Amino acid sequence: MASNEEKNSKRRINSAYITSLISITLVLFTLGFLGLVLIHAHSLSNYIKENIGFEIIMKPGVKEADIVYLKKTLDAEDFVKSTEYITKEEATERLSEVLGEAFTGFLEEENNPLLPSIDVRFNADWANNDSLVAIEEAVLKNEAVKEVYYQKSLVHLINKNVRKISLVLLGFSLLLLLIAMALINNTIRLSVYSKRFIIRSMKLVGATESFIRKPFVMKGVIHGILSAVLALSLLSGIVAVSKQNIPELELLSSMETMAYLYVAVILLGIVMSGLSTLFAVKRYLHMRADSLYA
Amino acid sequence: MEDHTVINLQDISVYQKNKLVLANVNLNINNGEFVYLIGKTGSGKSSLMQLLYADLPVEQGKASICGYNLNSIKNSQIPFLRRKLGIVFQDFQLLEDRTIEENLIFVLKATGWKDKQEIQARIIEVLEEVELISKLKVMPHQLSGGEQQRIVIARALLNHPELILADEPTGNLDPETSNGIMKVLMKISQSGKAVLMATHNYNLIHKFPGKIIKCEEGTVVSSDNKLD
Repeated sequence: MASNEEKNSKRRINSAYITSLISITLVLFTLGFLGLVLIHAHSLSNYIKENIGFEIIMKPGVKEADIVYLKKTLDAEDFVKSTEYITKEEATERLSEVLGEAFTGFLEEENNPLLPSIDVRFNADWANNDSLVAIEEAVLKNEAVKEVYYQKSLVHLINKNVRKISLVLLGFSLLLLLIAMALINNTIRLSVYSKRFIIRSMKLVGATESFIRKPFVMKGVIHGILSAVLALSLLSGIVAVSKQNIPELELLSSMETMAYLYVAVILLGIVMSGLSTLFAVKRYLHMRADSLYA
Repeated sequence: MEDHTVINLQDISVYQKNKLVLANVNLNINNGEFVYLIGKTGSGKSSLMQLLYADLPVEQGKASICGYNLNSIKNSQIPFLRRKLGIVFQDFQLLEDRTIEENLIFVLKATGWKDKQEIQARIIEVLEEVELISKLKVMPHQLSGGEQQRIVIARALLNHPELILADEPTGNLDPETSNGIMKVLMKISQSGKAVLMATHNYNLIHKFPGKIIKCEEGTVVSSDNKLD
């Protein structure tokens, strides 16, 4: 009889523990997933920005050495991610490929209108209209340069949309963080609530508040770590499956950023669970005896 | 044994959520005394007990318990006052999530005991005093009401308290078990500790005589050992 009661009581405690563990795991998983989306969105926006075309067309007859010198000068700049020197011949070849026929066949060599150029790709932070205009002005001062070509409206549009999407994602993340905090706090408060009479008994036998709090908070922190590990296992599974189906995703996230995300989820689990436990225990430590029955 | 005061209340008023429950309470209890606190349900017995173990603040009058001035006691000092008291409740209030041994270990560790051997020896001592040494590894819910109450008394004795506050300790027990609990409490009192016991059970008072005080008409009066 007593053994059955004991089993039932243990089952109830285990079931409450597992329910709260699953709840916190799901909340942390959702936060981690959002973090993943944010990281990929940021990488995607950088990827788009860093592929904005910026073409420096050289004047006819400029020596190859001058073009190579300009390319090297550009390569040394902080704002440049990469450069590519496209000779007149390469330009011709590429255009022929696009047109599907060798258009130079009926032109004399000296009448080929294509000019050598340098194709520049910028680092994401510089890929905006203001910076590009300043860079354009600086490049045009070079006498070997005929003109600079890039789509101003496209750059503006990309930056505007990236800003909009970032704001929406940030707002959504903050909202989700608040919801997560409320959910975790509520889950833990319910679990501490079930022990409010134990807390009172501990007080009445002469235990100090810090002595009572310590094991609860330790348990909360362990609970947070365990939930975070479970959430990250789920997240890792999803990342692995996604990368199998969309290999391009590999380009959008580095090991380093993923490590930051994992550490952040573990810290969130520890801090949220630990703090919620601390506040919940504090609440019941200071509650009047008759309020415990309410 | 030299007499010294463990409870001294002068013109105390007891409030529950701003509601005056008892007024002009004057009470003096010395070590070794066994005092019954009687009175109707709702007359303020439990509130007075709560005030004595600093669960309710002293708002009027002067109160001193086991050398602690309740008028000026800080929150951080309350646990240390409670270590000089042994509190016994009608509803036991054992830690249901651990064995009897773990319950007792918790109290000792919480009150500063470090040495494992000393802890073990003290647990055996108090369990022998209440004759429940065989229940060391048992969970509280596996014990009968009487056994749980004996364990609570053992718990109350762990830190050699000067005063035992027992709030209706036999309220949930049958007469025979109640007699057993009373014998334990009487033995404790004879060892020099003061016992203040709130009760409704006049049969027990007849069987185990002691000083009687009564909560009546909003104050505490000495009953001159008469039950009326």
